[in-house]
Amino acid sequence: MKLLSQRLLGPVTLALLGLTFWLGLWVTPPDKAQGNLARLVYVHPAVAWVALYVSFGTATIASALYLWQRTRSMVMDRVAHCAMEVSVVFILLTLITGSIWGRPTWGVWWAWDARLTSTAILGVFALAYLALRRANDDPDLRARRAAVFAILAAINVPIIHFSVQWWKTLHQGATVFTSNRQLLIHGLMAWTLLISFLAFTLLFFWLLRARYRLEVLRSERYDVFVAEALAQRRREGVR
Amino acid sequence: MPDAEASIDLTPVDAPPLKRRARRRTIGVLVVLVLAVLALLSQGLLHSLNYFETIDQAMSARAKLGTTTIRLEGVVKPHTIARTSGGASFWMTGGKGEEVFVSAHGSPPQLFQANIPVVVVGHFTSSTSDRFYGTQILVKHTASYIAAHPKRVRAPNGTTR
Repeated sequence: MKLLSQRLLGPVTLALLGLTFWLGLWVTPPDKAQGNLARLVYVHPAVAWVALYVSFGTATIASALYLWQRTRSMVMDRVAHCAMEVSVVFILLTLITGSIWGRPTWGVWWAWDARLTSTAILGVFALAYLALRRANDDPDLRARRAAVFAILAAINVPIIHFSVQWWKTLHQGATVFTSNRQLLIHGLMAWTLLISFLAFTLLFFWLLRARYRLEVLRSERYDVFVAEALAQRRREGVR
Repeated sequence: MPDAEASIDLTPVDAPPLKRRARRRTIGVLVVLVLAVLALLSQGLLHSLNYFETIDQAMSARAKLGTTTIRLEGVVKPHTIARTSGGASFWMTGGKGEEVFVSAHGSPPQLFQANIPVVVVGHFTSSTSDRFYGTQILVKHTASYIAAHPKRVRAPNGTTR
């Protein structure tokens, strides 16, 4: 029997996403400087939050837990793998929504500034992680190599986060997590932003759960295939 | 039955050629991704770690910069914007009050307005001039979001926003 939280995850996610879009598109006021363009603030930062911290973070923590002897299990490896796959999707969405926002505000689709470039590099790292997993058939060796790679790649996450403080970038400074912890967004706009963060975070866990279940099924199917192949060879040997 | 099973050869065999080919292809993909990271690093981080020069930095290094193409950042001074047939001209102010006259070619972005930080791609007209010829204007918006016309819209229930 499914846990209530598992059963509610999907509907709650959809409800919060719906609420975000309703508030973001119809209820919140336009911004003084950006006008209606500012409505992208209810999508882009939340998607980036999931891409960089939630999904890549989950993959990194699961990788670290796999490498630690006490917690080593294929469950951790699977979680890391699935989280990284979802991370690729969210990194791509971050770059696409950022680009859509950048064109009318900055005047360009893309700028080679430190924030954008380091995010693109994280996307390539995530793809490299998935490619690395396909380069090895031995499950243990594959899991170990992938885990080490994920942890090394995660060094880029704080670089992305602090890039707007360390260097002069075209990208705006931190929207929510500013250095002095001061939210620069007013009233309902701030609440909608926070709801969007919650909605996209839950969306990540929903997708992760679905992908994990698929991976378990795939693994079980492979085990059945191997058992059937062995049984067939045994039957051939008997004949 | 156990004798029959014992006679079956279950020792692992080498992977078929197709698998080796697939692995080579994956390693090729990895090499391409490594090259992509190196290209991104060289293009983005090593050449433009700092995306622009502030007006104060540029003015202090003006003789050295000469007419080299740079990205210059400053705030558009109010009441100085003049739209021209080829683009726009305006005065740009730096953090320490230094000013540069910008004559830019090409249409400015949608958000271009007075008091907004901008980055202009271009060059000084000479090593002693405070006139800057721009080929592109980029708007650098801040992270603050303030409601336009707050409390001017009254909902049927009496609340305002």
